[in-house]
Amino acid sequence: MTLATRNAAFGYLLMAPSVLFFVILIAYPLGQTLVISLYHMSTLTRTGEFIGAANYTALLQSGEFWNAFGNTLIWTVGCLALQLGLGVAFALILHGKLFLRPIARALVLFPYLLSTVVAVLVWQWLFNDLYGYLNYLAEEYGVVDGPINWLGQSPNAMISVIVVAAWKQFPFVTIAVLARLQGIPKALYDAAKIDGANAWSRFWDITVPQLKPVLAMVIILRTIWDFKEFDLIFMMTGGGPRSSTETLPLLVYKEVFPKLSMGSGAAIAMIMLAIMLVFFWIYAGQYDREESARTR
Amino acid sequence: MTGARMLRLGGRICRDVLVWAAIGLISFPLVWMVLTSLKPRIETNGYPPSFLPSSLTLVHYYDLLFRTGFGQLFVNSLFVSLTSTLVAVLFGIAGAYGLVRFRFAARGLMARLVLFAYLLPAVVLLVPLYVIVASIGLNGSLWGLVITDTTFALPFALWLLRAFVAALPPDIEAAAAIDGAGRFAILFEIVIPQALPGILATAVFTFIMAYNEYLYALVFINADQSMTLPPGVLRLVKESYDIDWNLMMAAAVVITMPILLLFALVQRHFGQGLGAGSVKG
Repeated sequence: MTLATRNAAFGYLLMAPSVLFFVILIAYPLGQTLVISLYHMSTLTRTGEFIGAANYTALLQSGEFWNAFGNTLIWTVGCLALQLGLGVAFALILHGKLFLRPIARALVLFPYLLSTVVAVLVWQWLFNDLYGYLNYLAEEYGVVDGPINWLGQSPNAMISVIVVAAWKQFPFVTIAVLARLQGIPKALYDAAKIDGANAWSRFWDITVPQLKPVLAMVIILRTIWDFKEFDLIFMMTGGGPRSSTETLPLLVYKEVFPKLSMGSGAAIAMIMLAIMLVFFWIYAGQYDREESARTR
Repeated sequence: MTGARMLRLGGRICRDVLVWAAIGLISFPLVWMVLTSLKPRIETNGYPPSFLPSSLTLVHYYDLLFRTGFGQLFVNSLFVSLTSTLVAVLFGIAGAYGLVRFRFAARGLMARLVLFAYLLPAVVLLVPLYVIVASIGLNGSLWGLVITDTTFALPFALWLLRAFVAALPPDIEAAAAIDGAGRFAILFEIVIPQALPGILATAVFTFIMAYNEYLYALVFINADQSMTLPPGVLRLVKESYDIDWNLMMAAAVVITMPILLLFALVQRHFGQGLGAGSVKG
């Protein structure tokens, strides 16, 4: 045996447990989702009849699906915009000189690590209509007369969950941007200073172009993650009131469990997978470009 | 001190005060969580609500730990997240080393599949995993949850570890191989010790991910005694007629404790870990 093939054999051996796991618990289930989506199947009995694409055509004609689709769009774009704004702002702030900066960094980054359930409990308490602190502040400072119904009416509920999600997720943007900021060579700024560029033009001509690649990555990744978010919305509102915060992942759950319509749920999951594949394809392309730029 | 210098200093102080006010706003929900958990109930459900408690009490923590099923939930959560982290990191080390250091067919494809699995929405696997877990009789068992949680823990750990192993210099391994060290010796005596900080960071982030998992626990577990924290605590809320917010905030604090400890442990690797080796620029 040559060294190269022995190498390959050992490589396969090391990969084997992971590959086995991937095949049984990721690849096979993915195939199953596709198969089940072609059946009219009950969650309880897990048997049913083959109905071809009927689940898909029924979905595309249902108001419920398009409502969830629209909500997913609002949710994803809303989260992304807020996270980017907050995330970049805090990265710039935490990059500069600041009193007790290490503590400031830890405090800003912490919400990202919190359990979603903790974020939900804390914010539900803040939003509480009787004793919640937000309503107390709003009334005390005369912003409103009566308590605001933060989660129980539309469009408040969607806005509230987006704010909570942005609060929890923006540190991801901060960390990524901060890491990039620290990597920009100081010489670039020094050279610009010598050429007489002021702080503003140094920001636009050096910082912004240097941040573009990392922002591209962050936007695609956060889009994928926000798009598939289930936990936060489901725990906060359960999709309500009257489906105004029901996104596609919540609709999958609703079809499969409360409605016991497994085939239809699988069909929505497949549509989600198709959408996610587009973003994955963009991300993988961007990732390869970054990788080759780095090793060049 | 000259006037200009004093002006600059004053400007900096103003700036820092403003920045710290913004940080205070971001941290406020967490401050409020801790304050509520230490406040007597009468101060919580009164108007106006007190900001700082007039007297501190640990009664809510006592109630939480000794009068509810919280302790069992906590133990279950630790069991599930530790076990799936262990599986994910062990498989992950071997897989990442194989992926980075050995040339074989479909290597690029494998790396791509790992990334794909890492980004895959949990709801896409929900239906078939439900069928699989039920058909092997692990429905409602914590072991079933270990299996389903590994579906996201393993790709995540693999993806992170791949970046850490790739960052190691291959020269030492090559030198050891020339000196006649066996393949497993190289893996255990050179690669793993060198990658140890990265492995620890990966283990911590994988643990936190599994510890926070909600959807699979919600779907696969029914009995109270095998619930994990996220769905279990929410069930405590729903079961009570009148939500005890002091108790809930105490629960939120206790749930956060392990994360806080681990975060302190690996804070230096924070950037690398969260970027998941994927956000470099």
